[in-house]
Amino acid sequence: MSEIERQLEDIARLVRIDVVTMIHKAGDGHPGPALSATDLITALYFHIMNIDPKNPGWEDRDRFILSKGHACPALYAALARKGYFPRSELVGLRSLESFLQGHPDMNKIPGIDSTSGSLGNGVGIGLGMTLAGRYLGRDYFTYVITGDGEIEEGIVWESAMSAKKYKAGKLIVFVDNNGIQSGGPVEKVSGLNPILPKWEAFGWHCQEIDGHNFAGILKAVENAKENTDQPSLILAHTIKGQGVPFMIGDNSWHKRVPTKEQYEEAMRVLGGEIS
Amino acid sequence: MNQLGNTRIAFIESMAEIVEKDPKAVLVCADSVLVVKGKPFAEKYPEKFFDVGIAEQNAVACAAGMAACGLVPFVATYAGFITMRACEQVRTFVAYPGLNVKLVGANGGISAGEREGVTHQFFEDIGIMRTIPGITVVVPADHNQVHQATKAIHKVEGPVYMRIGSGRDPVVDSDIPFELGKVRILKEDGGDIAILANGFVINRALEAADNLKTEGINAVVADVHTLKPLDEKGIIEILKKTGAAVTVEDHNIIGGLGSAITEFSAEKMPCPVVRIGLRDVYPRSGLPEPLLDYYKMSVTDIVEAAKRAIKTKK
Repeated sequence: MSEIERQLEDIARLVRIDVVTMIHKAGDGHPGPALSATDLITALYFHIMNIDPKNPGWEDRDRFILSKGHACPALYAALARKGYFPRSELVGLRSLESFLQGHPDMNKIPGIDSTSGSLGNGVGIGLGMTLAGRYLGRDYFTYVITGDGEIEEGIVWESAMSAKKYKAGKLIVFVDNNGIQSGGPVEKVSGLNPILPKWEAFGWHCQEIDGHNFAGILKAVENAKENTDQPSLILAHTIKGQGVPFMIGDNSWHKRVPTKEQYEEAMRVLGGEIS
Repeated sequence: MNQLGNTRIAFIESMAEIVEKDPKAVLVCADSVLVVKGKPFAEKYPEKFFDVGIAEQNAVACAAGMAACGLVPFVATYAGFITMRACEQVRTFVAYPGLNVKLVGANGGISAGEREGVTHQFFEDIGIMRTIPGITVVVPADHNQVHQATKAIHKVEGPVYMRIGSGRDPVVDSDIPFELGKVRILKEDGGDIAILANGFVINRALEAADNLKTEGINAVVADVHTLKPLDEKGIIEILKKTGAAVTVEDHNIIGGLGSAITEFSAEKMPCPVVRIGLRDVYPRSGLPEPLLDYYKMSVTDIVEAAKRAIKTKK
């Protein structure tokens, strides 16, 4: 394992600690989907993206859209660790007094590039950002993480179609393929599978990776960046609840608050301080 | 017989003027380039023209992304496909973040949808847009007003919905300029009744006022083109004078101008208001003028409504 992978592994562990802590303290949130996306978010914010936490509105920054907005505890934790706002704010998640809204809000939360939370919209918004960047002669990339269940939404395929037309090479979309949506296994709920051939048929540059392996994530993004005349889809196989064993395989953790005992157990596993 | 103008051409011509001055303004269509007579625009400004195909939700989402990165996108297609099919994208990704996206809806009203039938007659657009916080809502009277309104909405820093018509849109004989958020007093015969109208039925309101005058009833006719923000001061002044009003619009009587005026007057200046509009039914196909008559938006209907309103004055 390279030094950078080791560093990212450790940051992801800290992000997971914050995810579980904030949901426990705040008494609300979606831990399972946040933990499946944590490694992708960590790779983006701590290695891949060209950003400046001191200047969140920098016009040439890379953009990120968490299209599966309910996974926002992981994004908020990453933003706080990155320095967009103090980590002490995280426990305010979803409370009236806090700026940390139930789903990402681009006006209230420093570092959020797009409001999100209603599913399916991130690819289209990301395409708009990509087209604006090209029009304005800016060099940034736009990254999107969508859930797998989320791509059941029709608008995703509208956007997939026009991203191909516009050869949106600077649009890179991850599908966080944890295989389980709110109501159960993705295949059972919707018949969505197979995912990759659909994007291939829509003319996207497609790759398939382990979404918890940093070397694979970084390599896939490099490949995607080299492909300049097609939008890129990275199908990331992930595990819902990754990092917290008692959440894995139990979809009640899609949206559930850890008890004090569960929180303490998660902290022991993740090496976090019990606060 | 009404003289006709073309609000669609008025929009696209104004759009061309706007992009000449504002390099960040762009046009987004959903295979609606012919709808908005946009071919010459697309040919002259290919880099400022985006067509995402028959995919209105994507058109609005893309526009949100563009606006988030500094562009000023105008999304133009049929009114119902913006306000209904892409309603949630408008609400959550344009209006909620307050992004600088302009939404331009064609075929506003049953008369503008005319022979196409219900699928292309849009009489709910204003009601839907009005209930979404943070959107400026504009219903210009004719092609001259669309010219001015398009430039006016470009100057608004934030989301706007503007209605346009079929391209065969009655011309209103008035030189009063368009000023966003200010009613236009088109006729002021006296203080017996206010006829508050907007859109492509204003000539009917004016004709009704003429007919009332021959019966000794003197009306004020005002064009209430901006539904949000409503010109509260201007409307209070009119209602103070008349103490009764008729609203006239080519829209469902629920949600549009009639609702805006009755909601406002009930709180601020209670007085009888009779609403003329589509009476919460689905219309049929037909030519515009007979359609409006058939669905109780005739000059006679307006005259009778005025008399009813006057009768119930205290």
